Amino acid sequence: MTTQQTRPSLDDPRIAIPSTSEWYEPAPTAQTERQAEFLNLRDGEMFINMGPQHPSTHGVLRIVVKVNGEQVVDLDPVLGYLHRGVEKLCENADYHQAICYTDPLEYVASLFCEAAPVAAFEKLMDVEVPRRAQYIRVLTMELNRIASHTLFQGWMALDLGGITPILWSFIERDEIVDMLAALTGQKLLYNYYRIGGVNGDLNHEFMSRLGNWMSRAAAQIDSNTGLINENELFVRRTRGLGTLDQATALRMGVTGPNLRATGVPFDLRRDHPYLVYPELEFNVPTRDEGDSLARYMVRIDEIRESIRIIDQVLHEMPDGPVMAKLPRLIRPRPGRAFGAVEGPRGAYGVYAISDGTDQPFRMRIHDPSFVHLQLVGPLTRGNLIADTMAVMASLDPVMGGVDK
Amino acid sequence: MDRALASALQERFSPTLLTPVRQRFDETEIRVSIADAVPTLRALHDEPNFAFEMLIDLCGVDTGEEMQIVYHLSSSTTGDWLRVIVPGVDRSAPRVNSLVSLWPGAEWMEREAYDMFGIIFEGNRDLRRIYMPDDYLSHPLRKDFYLADDASRSPAAGVRNMERAGTPADATRATALRKSSGA
Repeated sequence: MTTQQTRPSLDDPRIAIPSTSEWYEPAPTAQTERQAEFLNLRDGEMFINMGPQHPSTHGVLRIVVKVNGEQVVDLDPVLGYLHRGVEKLCENADYHQAICYTDPLEYVASLFCEAAPVAAFEKLMDVEVPRRAQYIRVLTMELNRIASHTLFQGWMALDLGGITPILWSFIERDEIVDMLAALTGQKLLYNYYRIGGVNGDLNHEFMSRLGNWMSRAAAQIDSNTGLINENELFVRRTRGLGTLDQATALRMGVTGPNLRATGVPFDLRRDHPYLVYPELEFNVPTRDEGDSLARYMVRIDEIRESIRIIDQVLHEMPDGPVMAKLPRLIRPRPGRAFGAVEGPRGAYGVYAISDGTDQPFRMRIHDPSFVHLQLVGPLTRGNLIADTMAVMASLDPVMGGVDK
Repeated sequence: MDRALASALQERFSPTLLTPVRQRFDETEIRVSIADAVPTLRALHDEPNFAFEMLIDLCGVDTGEEMQIVYHLSSSTTGDWLRVIVPGVDRSAPRVNSLVSLWPGAEWMEREAYDMFGIIFEGNRDLRRIYMPDDYLSHPLRKDFYLADDASRSPAAGVRNMERAGTPADATRATALRKSSGA
């Protein structure tokens, strides 16, 4: 005998169906004046939630967008999904360990995030880096800058709906990443710089790959660039979009290509020189328009400058040791130091305080992406929703650094 | 390193400087009190012979006895970094003036300092947590906040809750920041 199965009925009192007012989470209460302004919906406005993954997947970011029809009225980025407390971890690690904690902050160009703390620690230790190590650092950093900018190039096109350029970009980027893997043993998080030098001299495989790549790099980058720069859809879509003026850029603390796209020729490599950059010849490309297209074009020009720098470095590379003589346990004298490098996104800075022990007392990491993400709100106000991604892509934030 | 900058700073701000201007490598460092901080920074930004038009970094520092706010400024005219330290911020109720009216880009950095240290920036219209969840209670970069790994060696050992309130007796263990160095 089988028991009769009855289909559950919606009239069954045991099934509680929430009333429509309970379907939605209660609106968050405003904690600040600005948030109260944001949460106040006027006639015809609504919130759209992007993320916490989508915003064109530059990392795990959530953006709450207030829209009126297709138009963005206001926008509130919600951060913290990748927060690991790196600054706290560094305070509990010794100086060598702290360097490798900073690697994953900037997973697209992690050599820069290593270079900043290393520069700060070297100032604390008052150590002179051997010239060959300085040249190697410049060489690898410029390679990494090209890798980051080529990825940006494809990524920006992808955010605007073009699939092909990202595949072309990855050809270049993979080549450079493999090259650096041959040198450092790692594909993304290199952990190559040491206090007082670099971990290992250039090897044969790296040099042969590099020579191979250099012989065709300029032509390859030209053909990649031609694919996008001469695309009318791309140019029309980005020209005049998210225009940032010079005064605002300076007041917002913008650095790097985003600042140079507004016409300010500020580059740490030239204005606050470090390593052997004063001896090398390169231009600081700028544009005056300040829109998304200008931010894109500045980066393309920078790729060409980086190739020029690599060329000079390969010709002038001296022989010699790659590590300074230092005790194995780093114990700087009490003091403070600020190390900064010009990365592909702007100025990376590390402010390190030593209290005389083998652990940094405080290690502040400044990442340019964090500052640039603030601009997404002001730059997209009044534009269409789809343009939010175009503006964000042109600012090129990496969420690993934003969230620390 | 620009010696002229040091003497210019000393001359212009001598009544407000807490210690003489210090220079090491390419860094110049001055110290001002909480009340003088924003006017000094405004003068550094506006006056053409300083022209520090860029705020590169703003951060809080907990020395275990007091809080500090540290600003790093940059100018495209000299190759120097200027560090402005505002020491003596009360650790139990840290409160300073916001810099947002001068550099709007400081807004998120101040939010971060609030999140990590609990420092209140008066005048910041959006001072809420930026990394940690809204219902989080403590401020992780303070020296009395122990990491889980650290717990077995710390007075917080055995306390599951990492958000233990109050200052453990040896929170100043790592505070050997030498007084003589002026920290």
